[in-house]
Amino acid sequence: METVKRHSVTVRLNHWAIAVSGIFLLFSGFGQMPMYKRYNIVKIPGLAWSSNYEITLLMHYVAAALFGAAVLYHIIYHFRRKEFGILPKKGDVGEAIAGFKAMLGRDEEPAHGKFQAKQRVIYAIMGSASLALLLTGLVKSYKNLGNIVIDHMLLEAITLAHTIFGMLFMMLFLAHVGALLLKNHRPLIPSMFSGRISKEYADHHHPKWDPGKE
Amino acid sequence: MKMNRRTFLTGAAAAGTALVLPQARPAEAAISDDSYASLIDLAKCDGCAGKKVPDCVTACGKGNESRFPRPEPEQLRDYWPQKKHEDWSKKKHLKTRFTPYNWLFVQNVEVNGQKLSIPRRCMHCDNPPCAKLCPFGVKHKTAEGPVYIDTHMCFGGAKCRTVCPWSVPQRQAGVGLYTNWQKVLPVGGGVMYKCDLCRNRLAEDKKPFCMESCPKGAMKIGKRVEIFAEAQKLKKQYNGHLYGMKENGGTSTVYVSRVPFEQINKAILATKSSKNKKPTPMHKPENMLDKQTIWSKASLAAPAVGALAAFFAAGSKAEKEGDK
Repeated sequence: METVKRHSVTVRLNHWAIAVSGIFLLFSGFGQMPMYKRYNIVKIPGLAWSSNYEITLLMHYVAAALFGAAVLYHIIYHFRRKEFGILPKKGDVGEAIAGFKAMLGRDEEPAHGKFQAKQRVIYAIMGSASLALLLTGLVKSYKNLGNIVIDHMLLEAITLAHTIFGMLFMMLFLAHVGALLLKNHRPLIPSMFSGRISKEYADHHHPKWDPGKE
Repeated sequence: MKMNRRTFLTGAAAAGTALVLPQARPAEAAISDDSYASLIDLAKCDGCAGKKVPDCVTACGKGNESRFPRPEPEQLRDYWPQKKHEDWSKKKHLKTRFTPYNWLFVQNVEVNGQKLSIPRRCMHCDNPPCAKLCPFGVKHKTAEGPVYIDTHMCFGGAKCRTVCPWSVPQRQAGVGLYTNWQKVLPVGGGVMYKCDLCRNRLAEDKKPFCMESCPKGAMKIGKRVEIFAEAQKLKKQYNGHLYGMKENGGTSTVYVSRVPFEQINKAILATKSSKNKKPTPMHKPENMLDKQTIWSKASLAAPAVGALAAFFAAGSKAEKEGDK
Protein backbone atom coordinates (compact mmCIF):
# COMPACT_ATOMS: atom_id res chain seq x y z
CA MET A 1 0.00 0.00 0.00
CA GLU A 2 1.37 3.37 -1.00
CA THR A 3 1.60 5.79 1.93
CA VAL A 4 2.36 9.46 2.49
CA LYS A 5 4.03 11.12 5.49
CA ARG A 6 1.55 13.02 7.66
CA HIS A 7 3.36 13.67 10.98
CA SER A 8 7.07 13.95 11.87
CA VAL A 9 8.63 12.12 14.85
CA THR A 10 8.65 15.39 16.80
CA VAL A 11 4.95 15.98 16.23
CA ARG A 12 4.10 12.41 17.21
CA LEU A 13 6.20 12.51 20.39
CA ASN A 14 4.67 15.86 21.29
CA HIS A 15 1.17 14.51 20.68
CA TRP A 16 1.75 11.46 22.90
CA ALA A 17 3.35 13.55 25.64
CA ILE A 18 0.19 15.68 25.76
CA ALA A 19 -2.10 12.64 25.51
CA VAL A 20 -0.38 10.59 28.24
CA SER A 21 0.02 13.55 30.62
CA GLY A 22 -3.60 14.52 29.89
CA ILE A 23 -4.85 11.08 30.93
CA PHE A 24 -2.84 11.19 34.17
CA LEU A 25 -3.96 14.78 34.84
CA LEU A 26 -7.61 13.84 34.40
CA PHE A 27 -7.29 10.77 36.63
CA SER A 28 -5.38 12.55 39.39
CA GLY A 29 -7.52 15.68 39.04
CA PHE A 30 -10.70 13.73 39.68
CA GLY A 31 -8.88 12.05 42.56
CA GLN A 32 -8.30 15.48 44.07
CA MET A 33 -11.96 16.47 43.63
CA PRO A 34 -12.51 14.15 45.80
CA MET A 35 -14.47 11.35 44.15
CA TYR A 36 -12.81 7.96 44.33
CA LYS A 37 -13.75 6.95 47.86
CA ARG A 38 -17.34 8.11 47.63
CA TYR A 39 -17.98 6.55 44.23
CA ASN A 40 -16.23 3.27 45.19
CA ILE A 41 -13.36 3.56 42.70
CA VAL A 42 -11.13 2.50 45.62
CA LYS A 43 -12.92 -0.84 45.62
CA ILE A 44 -11.74 -1.65 42.08
CA PRO A 45 -8.87 -4.13 42.47
CA GLY A 46 -5.54 -2.31 42.23
CA LEU A 47 -7.02 1.15 42.79
CA ALA A 48 -7.20 1.24 46.59
CA TRP A 49 -4.48 3.92 46.51
CA SER A 50 -6.57 6.27 44.35
CA SER A 51 -8.13 8.07 47.33
CA ASN A 52 -4.68 8.92 48.74
CA TYR A 53 -4.36 12.67 48.14
CA GLU A 54 -0.58 12.67 48.50
CA ILE A 55 -0.23 10.14 45.67
CA THR A 56 -2.71 11.86 43.34
CA LEU A 57 -1.15 15.27 44.08
CA LEU A 58 2.30 13.97 43.18
CA MET A 59 0.86 12.39 40.05
CA HIS A 60 -0.83 15.69 39.14
CA TYR A 61 2.40 17.69 39.59
CA VAL A 62 4.50 15.27 37.51
CA ALA A 63 1.89 15.02 34.75
CA ALA A 64 1.41 18.82 34.83
CA ALA A 65 5.16 19.29 34.29
CA LEU A 66 5.06 17.04 31.22
CA PHE A 67 1.85 18.65 29.94
CA GLY A 68 3.15 22.21 30.44
CA ALA A 69 6.46 21.43 28.75
CA ALA A 70 4.72 19.67 25.83
CA VAL A 71 2.14 22.42 25.27
CA LEU A 72 4.77 25.17 25.21
CA TYR A 73 7.03 23.00 23.04
CA HIS A 74 4.15 22.59 20.57
CA ILE A 75 3.43 26.33 20.43
CA ILE A 76 7.03 27.54 20.07
CA TYR A 77 8.08 24.72 17.74
CA HIS A 78 5.34 25.33 15.17
CA PHE A 79 5.53 29.10 15.57
CA ARG A 80 9.25 29.07 14.75
CA ARG A 81 8.66 26.81 11.77
CA LYS A 82 5.74 28.98 10.62
CA GLU A 83 3.42 25.96 10.59
CA PHE A 84 -0.04 27.38 11.12
CA GLY A 85 -2.08 24.90 9.07
CA ILE A 86 -4.12 23.73 12.05
CA LEU A 87 -5.23 27.23 13.12
CA PRO A 88 -8.85 28.07 12.20
CA LYS A 89 -9.42 30.06 9.01
CA LYS A 90 -12.27 32.27 7.85
CA GLY A 91 -15.32 30.15 6.99
CA ASP A 92 -14.14 27.18 9.06
CA VAL A 93 -17.16 27.17 11.37
CA GLY A 94 -19.59 26.72 8.46
CA GLU A 95 -17.38 24.11 6.84
CA ALA A 96 -16.96 22.34 10.18
CA ILE A 97 -20.75 22.08 10.52
CA ALA A 98 -20.91 20.54 7.03
CA GLY A 99 -18.11 18.19 8.09
CA PHE A 100 -20.02 17.09 11.20
CA LYS A 101 -23.13 16.50 9.06
CA ALA A 102 -21.00 14.40 6.70
CA MET A 103 -19.83 12.36 9.68
CA LEU A 104 -23.47 11.53 10.29
CA GLY A 105 -24.02 10.77 6.59
CA ARG A 106 -26.24 13.82 6.05
CA ASP A 107 -23.98 15.85 3.81
CA GLU A 108 -21.17 15.54 1.29
CA GLU A 109 -17.69 15.73 2.90
CA PRO A 110 -16.05 19.03 1.83
CA ALA A 111 -12.67 18.87 0.08
CA HIS A 112 -9.94 19.31 2.72
CA GLY A 113 -6.32 20.32 2.96
CA LYS A 114 -4.03 18.59 5.49
CA PHE A 115 -6.52 19.33 8.25
CA GLN A 116 -10.30 19.38 8.06
CA ALA A 117 -12.17 22.54 9.09
CA LYS A 118 -13.74 20.68 12.01
CA GLN A 119 -10.29 19.55 13.13
CA ARG A 120 -9.11 23.16 13.09
CA VAL A 121 -12.16 24.34 15.07
CA ILE A 122 -11.83 21.53 17.65
CA TYR A 123 -8.09 22.25 17.87
CA ALA A 124 -8.81 25.88 18.70
CA ILE A 125 -11.27 24.90 21.44
CA MET A 126 -9.04 22.18 22.90
CA GLY A 127 -5.98 24.41 22.65
CA SER A 128 -7.78 27.22 24.47
CA ALA A 129 -8.97 24.83 27.19
CA SER A 130 -5.42 23.47 27.55
CA LEU A 131 -3.96 26.95 27.88
CA ALA A 132 -6.62 27.94 30.41
CA LEU A 133 -5.87 24.77 32.41
CA LEU A 134 -2.16 25.46 32.23
CA LEU A 135 -2.45 29.08 33.37
CA THR A 136 -4.88 28.38 36.22
CA GLY A 137 -2.85 25.29 37.17
CA LEU A 138 0.33 27.36 37.42
CA VAL A 139 -1.36 29.67 39.93
CA LYS A 140 -2.62 26.66 41.88
CA SER A 141 0.89 25.15 41.99
CA TYR A 142 2.46 28.46 42.97
CA LYS A 143 0.16 29.05 45.94
CA ASN A 144 1.20 25.68 47.39
CA LEU A 145 4.76 26.96 47.86
CA GLY A 146 4.65 28.02 51.50
CA ASN A 147 2.76 30.89 53.04
CA ILE A 148 1.49 32.48 49.84
CA VAL A 149 -1.79 34.34 50.16
CA ILE A 150 -3.74 35.06 46.96
CA ASP A 151 -6.83 37.28 46.86
CA HIS A 152 -9.63 34.98 48.02
CA MET A 153 -12.17 35.86 45.32
CA LEU A 154 -9.52 35.51 42.63
CA LEU A 155 -8.46 32.12 43.98
CA GLU A 156 -12.06 30.88 44.06
CA ALA A 157 -12.52 32.06 40.43
CA ILE A 158 -9.25 30.45 39.30
CA THR A 159 -10.08 27.18 41.05
CA LEU A 160 -13.57 27.10 39.56
CA ALA A 161 -12.19 27.90 36.08
CA HIS A 162 -9.62 25.07 36.44
CA THR A 163 -12.41 22.62 37.32
CA ILE A 164 -14.72 23.75 34.49
CA PHE A 165 -11.95 23.69 31.86
CA GLY A 166 -10.90 20.29 33.21
CA MET A 167 -14.41 18.98 32.53
CA LEU A 168 -14.37 20.54 29.04
CA PHE A 169 -10.94 19.04 28.37
CA MET A 170 -12.21 15.60 29.40
CA MET A 171 -15.24 15.86 27.10
CA LEU A 172 -13.10 17.01 24.15
CA PHE A 173 -10.57 14.28 24.89
CA LEU A 174 -13.31 11.64 24.79
CA ALA A 175 -14.81 13.21 21.63
CA HIS A 176 -11.36 13.15 19.99
CA VAL A 177 -10.88 9.46 20.75
CA GLY A 178 -14.51 8.69 19.82
CA ALA A 179 -14.22 10.48 16.45
CA LEU A 180 -11.12 8.46 15.55
CA LEU A 181 -13.06 5.27 16.09
CA LEU A 182 -15.55 6.26 13.36
CA LYS A 183 -15.03 4.23 10.20
CA ASN A 184 -14.26 7.31 8.10
CA HIS A 185 -11.47 8.46 10.42
CA ARG A 186 -9.88 5.13 11.37
CA PRO A 187 -7.27 5.27 8.55
CA LEU A 188 -5.84 8.38 10.26
CA ILE A 189 -4.90 6.42 13.40
CA PRO A 190 -1.58 5.03 12.00
CA SER A 191 -0.41 8.62 11.40
CA MET A 192 0.17 9.04 15.14
CA PHE A 193 2.21 5.83 15.35
CA SER A 194 4.13 5.41 12.09
CA GLY A 195 3.59 8.98 10.92
CA ARG A 196 2.15 7.78 7.61
CA ILE A 197 -1.32 7.22 6.14
CA SER A 198 -2.50 5.57 2.95
CA LYS A 199 -2.09 7.72 -0.14
CA GLU A 200 -5.50 6.62 -1.38
CA TYR A 201 -7.14 7.89 1.83
CA ALA A 202 -5.19 11.16 1.63
CA ASP A 203 -6.17 11.72 -2.02
CA HIS A 204 -9.81 10.95 -1.30
CA HIS A 205 -10.31 12.81 2.01
CA HIS A 206 -7.65 15.53 1.82
CA PRO A 207 -7.55 16.36 -1.93
CA LYS A 208 -6.21 19.86 -1.29
CA TRP A 209 -3.22 18.55 0.69
CA ASP A 210 0.10 18.08 -1.07
CA PRO A 211 2.42 16.11 1.29
CA GLY A 212 5.33 16.70 -1.08
CA LYS A 213 5.25 20.44 -0.38
CA GLU A 214 5.82 20.06 3.38
CA MET B 1 34.38 22.58 28.13
CA LYS B 2 33.31 22.38 24.53
CA MET B 3 29.90 23.92 23.96
CA ASN B 4 27.74 21.75 21.75
CA ARG B 5 23.98 21.88 21.15
CA ARG B 6 23.20 19.48 23.98
CA THR B 7 25.24 21.29 26.62
CA PHE B 8 23.84 24.60 25.45
CA LEU B 9 20.26 23.35 25.69
CA THR B 10 20.88 21.88 29.13
CA GLY B 11 22.39 25.14 30.34
CA ALA B 12 19.63 27.23 28.81
CA ALA B 13 16.96 25.05 30.40
CA ALA B 14 18.63 25.28 33.81
CA ALA B 15 18.95 29.06 33.48
CA GLY B 16 15.31 29.31 32.44
CA THR B 17 14.26 27.23 35.41
CA ALA B 18 16.19 29.44 37.81
CA LEU B 19 14.62 32.56 36.32
CA VAL B 20 11.08 31.26 36.30
CA LEU B 21 11.01 29.67 39.74
CA PRO B 22 9.64 31.95 42.44
CA GLN B 23 12.08 32.39 45.26
CA ALA B 24 9.97 30.45 47.74
CA ARG B 25 10.89 31.05 51.35
CA PRO B 26 10.25 28.67 54.22
CA ALA B 27 6.66 29.05 55.40
CA GLU B 28 7.77 30.15 58.84
CA ALA B 29 9.83 33.00 57.41
CA ALA B 30 7.25 34.05 54.85
CA ILE B 31 4.38 34.74 57.23
CA SER B 32 4.19 38.26 58.57
CA ASP B 33 5.49 38.97 62.07
CA ASP B 34 2.46 41.21 62.52
CA SER B 35 -0.03 38.43 61.81
CA TYR B 36 -1.96 36.89 64.69
CA ALA B 37 -0.66 33.94 66.65
CA SER B 38 -1.94 32.42 69.85
CA LEU B 39 -0.40 30.76 72.86
CA ILE B 40 -1.93 28.01 74.97
CA ASP B 41 -0.21 27.50 78.31
CA LEU B 42 -0.87 23.95 79.54
CA ALA B 43 0.74 24.81 82.88
CA LYS B 44 -2.15 27.20 83.52
CA CYS B 45 -5.12 25.35 81.97
CA ASP B 46 -6.97 23.07 84.42
CA GLY B 47 -9.89 22.36 82.10
CA CYS B 48 -12.12 24.45 84.43
CA ALA B 49 -11.96 21.76 87.11
CA GLY B 50 -15.33 21.06 88.69
CA LYS B 51 -17.29 22.31 85.69
CA LYS B 52 -19.03 19.88 83.34
CA VAL B 53 -17.94 21.87 80.30
CA PRO B 54 -14.89 24.16 80.31
CA ASP B 55 -15.68 27.88 80.00
CA CYS B 56 -13.81 28.26 76.71
CA VAL B 57 -15.87 25.50 75.09
CA THR B 58 -19.13 26.99 76.37
CA ALA B 59 -18.17 30.49 75.22
CA CYS B 60 -17.15 29.26 71.76
CA GLY B 61 -20.48 27.43 71.36
CA LYS B 62 -22.58 30.35 72.56
CA GLY B 63 -20.65 32.98 70.67
CA ASN B 64 -20.73 31.12 67.37
CA GLU B 65 -24.22 29.62 67.67
CA SER B 66 -25.64 31.81 64.90
CA ARG B 67 -23.06 30.33 62.51
CA PHE B 68 -23.90 26.70 63.23
CA PRO B 69 -25.66 24.66 60.51
CA ARG B 70 -29.44 24.32 60.44
CA PRO B 71 -30.24 21.42 58.11
CA GLU B 72 -33.73 20.87 56.73
CA PRO B 73 -34.79 17.29 57.62
CA GLU B 74 -35.77 16.48 54.01
CA GLN B 75 -32.27 17.46 52.86
CA LEU B 76 -30.59 14.89 55.09
CA ARG B 77 -29.97 12.23 52.45
CA ASP B 78 -27.36 9.52 52.08
CA TYR B 79 -24.31 10.30 49.97
CA TRP B 80 -25.16 8.11 47.00
CA PRO B 81 -23.89 5.44 46.36
CA GLN B 82 -22.86 5.29 50.03
CA LYS B 83 -25.51 4.34 52.56
CA LYS B 84 -24.61 7.04 55.05
CA HIS B 85 -24.50 10.76 55.66
CA GLU B 86 -22.98 12.90 58.38
CA ASP B 87 -25.59 14.50 60.57
CA TRP B 88 -24.50 16.04 63.87
CA SER B 89 -27.63 18.12 64.36
CA LYS B 90 -28.97 15.69 66.97
CA LYS B 91 -25.61 15.54 68.76
CA LYS B 92 -25.14 19.21 69.46
CA HIS B 93 -24.50 18.36 73.10
CA LEU B 94 -21.20 16.62 72.25
CA LYS B 95 -18.41 18.73 73.72
CA THR B 96 -15.55 16.22 73.78
CA ARG B 97 -14.63 16.16 70.09
CA PHE B 98 -14.77 18.29 66.95
CA THR B 99 -18.21 18.49 65.38
CA PRO B 100 -19.86 21.11 63.14
CA TYR B 101 -21.40 22.38 66.40
CA ASN B 102 -18.26 22.20 68.53
CA TRP B 103 -15.13 23.85 67.19
CA LEU B 104 -13.14 23.60 70.43
CA PHE B 105 -12.87 20.88 73.06
CA VAL B 106 -10.59 20.07 75.97
CA GLN B 107 -8.71 16.77 76.17
CA ASN B 108 -8.00 15.48 79.65
CA VAL B 109 -5.06 13.11 80.03
CA GLU B 110 -2.75 11.95 82.78
CA VAL B 111 1.01 11.77 82.23
CA ASN B 112 3.18 10.33 85.02
CA GLY B 113 0.49 11.08 87.58
CA GLN B 114 0.12 14.67 86.37
CA LYS B 115 -3.31 15.72 85.09
CA LEU B 116 -3.28 17.79 81.91
CA SER B 117 -6.11 19.65 80.17
CA ILE B 118 -5.45 20.49 76.52
CA PRO B 119 -7.74 22.87 74.62
CA ARG B 120 -7.90 21.65 71.00
CA ARG B 121 -9.02 23.68 68.00
CA CYS B 122 -7.74 24.53 64.53
CA MET B 123 -3.98 25.28 64.63
CA HIS B 124 -4.25 27.82 61.76
CA CYS B 125 -1.27 26.40 59.86
CA ASP B 126 1.13 28.60 57.91
CA ASN B 127 0.77 26.53 54.73
CA PRO B 128 -2.49 24.69 55.42
CA PRO B 129 -3.10 21.66 53.17
CA CYS B 130 -6.81 21.89 54.04
CA ALA B 131 -7.05 25.34 52.44
CA LYS B 132 -4.49 24.95 49.67
CA LEU B 133 -5.94 21.67 48.43
CA CYS B 134 -9.62 22.59 48.66
CA PRO B 135 -10.89 21.53 45.20
CA PHE B 136 -13.24 24.51 45.09
CA GLY B 137 -10.83 27.05 46.56
CA VAL B 138 -13.30 28.04 49.26
CA LYS B 139 -11.01 27.61 52.24
CA HIS B 140 -8.50 30.37 52.81
CA LYS B 141 -5.38 31.24 54.74
CA THR B 142 -5.50 34.93 55.54
CA ALA B 143 -2.52 37.25 55.76
CA GLU B 144 -3.72 38.02 59.30
CA GLY B 145 -3.21 34.38 60.34
CA PRO B 146 -6.63 32.66 60.62
CA VAL B 147 -7.70 29.92 58.23
CA TYR B 148 -11.41 30.07 57.44
CA ILE B 149 -14.03 28.31 55.31
CA ASP B 150 -16.35 30.17 52.96
CA THR B 151 -19.35 28.14 54.15
CA HIS B 152 -21.63 29.68 51.50
CA MET B 153 -19.53 28.10 48.72
CA CYS B 154 -18.42 24.86 50.42
CA PHE B 155 -19.58 21.57 48.82
CA GLY B 156 -18.64 19.43 51.82
CA GLY B 157 -16.33 16.98 50.05
CA ALA B 158 -14.48 16.62 53.37
CA LYS B 159 -11.07 16.44 51.71
CA CYS B 160 -9.92 19.16 54.12
CA ARG B 161 -10.65 16.83 57.05
CA THR B 162 -8.60 14.04 55.46
CA VAL B 163 -5.55 16.20 54.74
CA CYS B 164 -5.65 17.94 58.13
CA PRO B 165 -3.24 16.07 60.45
CA TRP B 166 -5.68 16.69 63.32
CA SER B 167 -8.95 16.12 61.35
CA VAL B 168 -10.27 19.47 62.55
CA PRO B 169 -12.91 20.41 59.92
CA GLN B 170 -16.17 18.52 60.37
CA ARG B 171 -19.04 18.00 57.94
CA GLN B 172 -22.73 18.59 58.34
CA ALA B 173 -25.06 17.12 55.71
CA GLY B 174 -28.25 18.77 54.50
CA VAL B 175 -26.91 22.33 54.30
CA GLY B 176 -25.11 24.43 51.72
CA LEU B 177 -24.88 24.71 47.96
CA TYR B 178 -25.25 21.01 47.17
CA THR B 179 -28.81 20.95 48.54
CA ASN B 180 -29.84 22.76 45.34
CA TRP B 181 -29.07 19.72 43.17
CA GLN B 182 -28.49 16.67 45.37
CA LYS B 183 -31.90 15.22 44.44
CA VAL B 184 -30.86 14.92 40.78
CA LEU B 185 -27.05 14.99 40.93
CA PRO B 186 -25.33 13.15 43.81
CA VAL B 187 -22.38 15.52 44.15
CA GLY B 188 -21.36 17.22 47.41
CA GLY B 189 -22.00 16.28 51.00
CA GLY B 190 -22.82 19.38 53.02
CA VAL B 191 -20.63 22.07 54.51
CA MET B 192 -17.40 21.87 56.53
CA TYR B 193 -17.12 23.78 59.81
CA LYS B 194 -14.23 24.67 62.08
CA CYS B 195 -12.72 27.42 64.25
CA ASP B 196 -11.76 30.57 62.35
CA LEU B 197 -10.10 32.17 65.40
CA CYS B 198 -13.14 34.50 65.58
CA ARG B 199 -11.57 36.50 62.77
CA ASN B 200 -14.49 38.92 62.63
CA ARG B 201 -13.94 39.72 66.30
CA LEU B 202 -10.21 40.13 65.71
CA ALA B 203 -11.04 42.68 63.00
CA GLU B 204 -12.92 44.64 65.71
CA ASP B 205 -9.95 44.38 68.08
CA LYS B 206 -11.80 41.87 70.24
CA LYS B 207 -10.40 38.57 71.51
CA PRO B 208 -11.79 35.21 70.38
CA PHE B 209 -14.64 34.00 72.63
CA CYS B 210 -12.56 31.16 74.09
CA MET B 211 -9.72 33.43 75.19
CA GLU B 212 -12.00 36.10 76.56
CA SER B 213 -13.74 33.56 78.79
CA CYS B 214 -10.70 31.67 80.12
CA PRO B 215 -10.63 32.15 83.92
CA LYS B 216 -6.96 31.13 84.16
CA GLY B 217 -5.59 33.31 81.39
CA ALA B 218 -4.19 30.15 79.79
CA MET B 219 -4.78 31.39 76.26
CA LYS B 220 -3.35 34.48 74.69
CA ILE B 221 -3.44 36.08 71.25
CA GLY B 222 -1.20 38.76 69.80
CA LYS B 223 1.38 39.57 67.16
CA ARG B 224 3.15 36.46 65.95
CA VAL B 225 6.62 37.74 66.76
CA GLU B 226 5.59 38.63 70.33
CA ILE B 227 3.64 35.44 70.98
CA PHE B 228 6.49 33.28 69.72
CA ALA B 229 8.96 35.23 71.87
CA GLU B 230 6.73 34.72 74.92
CA ALA B 231 6.44 31.02 74.14
CA GLN B 232 10.23 30.71 74.09
CA LYS B 233 10.44 32.62 77.38
CA LEU B 234 7.90 30.31 79.03
CA LYS B 235 9.67 27.27 77.68
CA LYS B 236 12.84 28.44 79.39
CA GLN B 237 10.98 29.35 82.57
CA TYR B 238 9.23 25.95 82.78
CA ASN B 239 12.21 24.06 81.44
CA GLY B 240 9.43 22.94 79.19
CA HIS B 241 8.42 22.14 75.62
CA LEU B 242 6.69 23.76 72.64
CA TYR B 243 4.20 22.39 70.14
CA GLY B 244 2.90 24.07 66.99
CA MET B 245 5.85 26.12 65.76
CA LYS B 246 7.22 23.37 63.52
CA GLU B 247 4.39 20.85 63.30
CA ASN B 248 2.78 20.58 59.85
CA GLY B 249 5.37 23.06 58.59
CA GLY B 250 4.54 25.67 61.26
CA THR B 251 1.27 27.02 62.61
CA SER B 252 -0.13 30.13 64.26
CA THR B 253 -0.78 28.28 67.52
CA VAL B 254 1.86 27.42 70.12
CA TYR B 255 1.31 25.16 73.10
CA VAL B 256 3.70 25.42 76.05
CA SER B 257 3.98 22.52 78.47
CA ARG B 258 6.17 21.27 81.29
CA VAL B 259 5.56 17.73 80.02
CA PRO B 260 7.14 16.57 76.74
CA PHE B 261 4.60 16.40 73.91
CA GLU B 262 5.76 12.91 72.95
CA GLN B 263 4.49 11.73 76.34
CA ILE B 264 1.30 13.76 76.00
CA ASN B 265 0.66 12.26 72.58
CA LYS B 266 1.22 8.76 73.97
CA ALA B 267 -1.30 9.46 76.72
CA ILE B 268 -3.81 10.85 74.20
CA LEU B 269 -3.52 7.81 71.95
CA ALA B 270 -4.02 5.58 75.01
CA THR B 271 -7.49 7.11 75.44
CA LYS B 272 -8.57 5.26 72.29
CA SER B 273 -11.76 3.39 73.13
CA SER B 274 -14.88 2.12 71.40
CA LYS B 275 -16.43 5.57 71.80
CA ASN B 276 -13.30 7.55 70.97
CA LYS B 277 -11.83 5.67 68.02
CA LYS B 278 -9.57 8.41 66.75
CA PRO B 279 -8.42 10.70 69.55
CA THR B 280 -6.99 13.99 68.19
CA PRO B 281 -3.21 13.44 68.43
CA MET B 282 -0.34 15.75 69.35
CA HIS B 283 2.10 14.10 66.99
CA LYS B 284 4.77 15.60 64.70
CA PRO B 285 3.12 15.74 61.28
CA GLU B 286 5.13 16.79 58.24
CA ASN B 287 3.34 19.19 55.89
CA MET B 288 2.22 17.20 52.83
CA LEU B 289 2.61 20.27 50.58
CA ASP B 290 6.13 21.01 51.81
CA LYS B 291 7.09 17.39 51.06
CA GLN B 292 6.21 17.92 47.40
CA THR B 293 7.60 21.43 46.92
CA ILE B 294 10.16 20.22 44.39
CA TRP B 295 7.39 18.79 42.18
CA SER B 296 5.34 21.94 42.48
CA LYS B 297 8.38 23.91 41.33
CA ALA B 298 8.96 21.43 38.50
CA SER B 299 5.41 21.97 37.24
CA LEU B 300 6.02 25.74 37.33
CA ALA B 301 9.31 25.58 35.47
CA ALA B 302 8.39 22.94 32.89
CA PRO B 303 6.59 25.25 30.39
CA ALA B 304 9.69 27.47 30.19
CA VAL B 305 11.91 24.43 29.68
CA GLY B 306 9.59 23.14 26.94
CA ALA B 307 9.56 26.52 25.22
CA LEU B 308 13.35 26.81 25.31
CA ALA B 309 13.84 23.29 24.02
CA ALA B 310 11.39 23.94 21.15
CA PHE B 311 13.05 27.24 20.29
CA PHE B 312 16.36 25.54 19.63
CA ALA B 313 14.99 22.25 18.28
CA ALA B 314 12.79 23.96 15.66
CA GLY B 315 15.78 25.67 14.13
CA SER B 316 18.17 22.75 14.31
CA LYS B 317 19.82 21.29 11.23
CA ALA B 318 18.70 17.75 12.08
CA GLU B 319 15.07 18.85 12.33
CA LYS B 320 15.20 20.59 8.96
CA GLU B 321 16.77 17.54 7.36
CA GLY B 322 14.12 15.34 8.94
CA ASP B 323 11.49 17.24 7.00
CA LYS B 324 12.90 16.14 3.69
